[in-house]
Amino acid sequence: MKEWFIRVILVAALVAVGIWSWGVLFPSPEKIIRKRLDELARTASFSSKEGLVAKAWNASMLADFFTEDVQVTVEVPSAQHTISGRAELLEAAAGARSTVGSLSIEFPDIKVTLAPDRTSAVVNLTARGKIPGERDFYLQELRLRMIKVKRDWLINQVETVKTLSWNRHVGRTSHLSPRA
Amino acid sequence: MVQSPSWLQRVLIGRNPKRTLVRIVILVVVSVVVFKYVLQPIRVEGGSMLPTYKDRGVHFVYRLAYLFHGPRRGDVVAIRTEAGEHVMYMKRIVGLPGETVAFRQGYLFINGKLLDEPYLILRGTWEHAPQLDGPDQYYVVGDNRDMPWDDHYKGRSARDLIIGKVVL
Repeated sequence: MKEWFIRVILVAALVAVGIWSWGVLFPSPEKIIRKRLDELARTASFSSKEGLVAKAWNASMLADFFTEDVQVTVEVPSAQHTISGRAELLEAAAGARSTVGSLSIEFPDIKVTLAPDRTSAVVNLTARGKIPGERDFYLQELRLRMIKVKRDWLINQVETVKTLSWNRHVGRTSHLSPRA
Repeated sequence: MVQSPSWLQRVLIGRNPKRTLVRIVILVVVSVVVFKYVLQPIRVEGGSMLPTYKDRGVHFVYRLAYLFHGPRRGDVVAIRTEAGEHVMYMKRIVGLPGETVAFRQGYLFINGKLLDEPYLILRGTWEHAPQLDGPDQYYVVGDNRDMPWDDHYKGRSARDLIIGKVVL
C-alpha cells in the first residue's frame, strides 16, 4: 500500500515536471507576448541617473518592439494625436525622455486575445507611469495589435481606450482586430 | 517522563502542532476565498471621490452585492478595466440604463429632473448637455465635482465591468 502510494506520488511529480518543462521550452504565444510587454515596460522606463548617450541608446532599443509602420493613436480630452511609423515614435519617445527626468512604467493588467491563426493578437493593457518624487501616478488604458514577425511579436497598432466614456459606445469598440 | 513544551513553543505552535497546522491551512484558505471572491480590499489613489473617500484610504468591495439585483443609484462601485482587475475605478452610480444624464451649473439632472445628492459636498459648476445611457450602461461619476470637467474621469460603464459595491 505504502509502495503503491509512493509510486503514484512519483508519477504525479514526473508529470508535473514534464508539464512545467514543456511550458518553459515551448512557451505559448500568450506567455511570449506577456514577457515581451514586461521587457517593453522596463525599456521604456528611465532614470535621471542615465547619461545622455545611455538615454539615446535605451530610446533606440524601443524600436525592437514595434513594426516599421506602427500606428499610434492617442486620444486626450478634446484632441487626438496620431504617430505614424517607428521613426516618428522614437522621436516622440526621445522627446519625452528629455522633458521628464525619470519615469517608471509598468503594466499591471495585460489581457491577450489571440487570432485563430495565432499570428496576431489584440492586447488590452493598463499602463501605469510614475515619476519618482511625485505623489500621483499616470494611468492609461491601451489596446495594442501585435503581429508575429518570424519568431518575434511586434506592436503594429496602439490606441488609447476608455472604460468609462461620455460618448455612448466608445471604450468597448475598436477598429483593432486580432486578425492580420 | 514526558516533558511539557516550553511557553514559546506553546505560543507559536500550540500544544498540538497537527491541530495548529490544520487551523493555519483553514485560515489561509478562508482568507484567500473571502478576500479574493467576497470582500476584496482596495486602496484609493487620487481625489475624484473626495471628500467621501480620501486618497490612500483602504476600503473593501463586496463582490456578491449584485448577485440578486442590479446596481442601484447612489451605490459606490468598483469598475474593472478591459485588461483586468489590478487597477479599478471607484465611482458612484448616478444614471441607470436608458436614462439621460445632464449637468447644469454643477447640478445633476436625470431624465430632465434634478437628482437629490445628499452625499455631494464639492458640487462645482459642470455644464453638459443630456446624454442617453445604453440599455446595459450605468452612468458613474466621482463625488469631487469641483475638479475641472476634463480632469475628472467619468462616464458610462457596461454592467459586466462593475465588479461590486464598495461597502467599508
